[in-house]
Amino acid sequence: MTIIDDTDWERMGSLGDVMHSAGRFMGIDFGLFPNLVIPSLETFMISCLGTFLGALICIPATWFGAMNITPYKPITYPIGRLLMTLSRSIHEIVWALFFVAVLGLGALAGIFAIAVRSVGFIAKMSAEAIEDIDKGPLEAIRATGANDFQVILYAVIPQVLPQILGVIIFEWEINIRRSAILGLVGAGGLGLVFFRQMNTFNFHGVISVIIAILGIILVGEFISYYTRKRVI
Amino acid sequence: MNSNFNKKWTRFKYPDSYYKFGSYLFTLLFLVFSIHYLEIPLNRLFGMIGRMGNVLSTRYYPPDIDYILDVDYMDYVVETIQMAYLGALFGLLFTIPLGWFGSYNMTPSKRFIYPIARMLTMGFRAVHEMIWTIIFVSILGYGMLAGVLALTFFCTGFAAKLLAEEIEAIDMGPVEAIKATGANLFKVMIFGVLPQVRVAFTGIAIYTWDVAFRAATVVGFFGAGGMGWYLKRNVLQIETERVAAIILSIIVLVLFSEFFSALIRNKVMKMK
Repeated sequence: MTIIDDTDWERMGSLGDVMHSAGRFMGIDFGLFPNLVIPSLETFMISCLGTFLGALICIPATWFGAMNITPYKPITYPIGRLLMTLSRSIHEIVWALFFVAVLGLGALAGIFAIAVRSVGFIAKMSAEAIEDIDKGPLEAIRATGANDFQVILYAVIPQVLPQILGVIIFEWEINIRRSAILGLVGAGGLGLVFFRQMNTFNFHGVISVIIAILGIILVGEFISYYTRKRVI
Repeated sequence: MNSNFNKKWTRFKYPDSYYKFGSYLFTLLFLVFSIHYLEIPLNRLFGMIGRMGNVLSTRYYPPDIDYILDVDYMDYVVETIQMAYLGALFGLLFTIPLGWFGSYNMTPSKRFIYPIARMLTMGFRAVHEMIWTIIFVSILGYGMLAGVLALTFFCTGFAAKLLAEEIEAIDMGPVEAIKATGANLFKVMIFGVLPQVRVAFTGIAIYTWDVAFRAATVVGFFGAGGMGWYLKRNVLQIETERVAAIILSIIVLVLFSEFFSALIRNKVMKMK
């Protein structure tokens, strides 16, 4: 009786064989590190640009998806929620495959894949923040005779801006992990180096690439920690 | 008094305003430099909507639904659901000790166990689930076992951070009261911490299942079993209509899972 059937127990061998297979990974290829600096920088830049573009794209999605400022509730609110759910349901690798078919290989496909994937999370959190605001300033600005756009600009945005910035910085940190693996499907950066090391069976090089990824995640966490302290 | 007469009130005074606008300017300059450094062909953006419409209408439509309704694919869908369930279950089992040790107020030893637990959590969380999948597939071979292990490690890192933050946010009053009755650390956890954390942990469990399911649909792309294997095969064979059908099935499944998890979350909220 097995929990997971179709596991190929003969190919895996005994526990000693599995430990031996895992032991092939133990070791760092130090000679690879100079070649990893430029791809790390590319990955970092892809994540920054992708988050920025995602924050731009999620402005209409947030506007439609928040119940109190959406223009025409029966139509636009479901559209907003559908956009958010759609962007969160499809994994970024599938988005990257789609954008490589449209935009060609290279960093641009990766940037769009990350942007579209981030829209879901940023828009969802921002819409929840907007639905929790204090109604007082909203009524006050509306009483001065402002139209809808001015109400949003002067009453809603000052209240939720710190939270939205915090969400964007949080998502930026997650996007650094994602952009590192988008290279596996053709978007460049560290993923491509990872793919090459894996295909040439240079397992120690694989560990080096993972260490480089952990390095840029650490840099991202430092920046995000200090920026969130300042913003929130 | 005359010197204060013409001063204009600004929200951010001298050093803060420089930091604020300086950081905005630096971010903008960095983005522009990135566009130049990555040599992004901006002219491709102009025809993008047209090209996207062209690709969607000629290559991805009509989606090949008959291919999905084939019996083998449904087996793989069931396999994906099983993999996600097992991965989330084992991940949550490992999360409970890791989150407990990683929380600053309830950890047994603040000098040794807390940093180690925090570093383990960060390490598990930092590596993307696809990288875990590739490593486990190369150690254990193709099949669901590699996928379940990869999802377990991913869920552990992800949920342990949330659980540690929840435990750090509890009220220490009941915990002190139970410590005063002479209970050891384990009983303090069960009677002091668990009733306060119970609802939040259920929320974390539901969210973990949601995220694990979304990852499980694509984990097969690198050989770990499930629907992703069909996706990879059809992408490599450039059967784009079948790819469209598979993506549709992924969307439908994830919508079902989200609906289901929202239902359970509402029931838990009502029971609270």
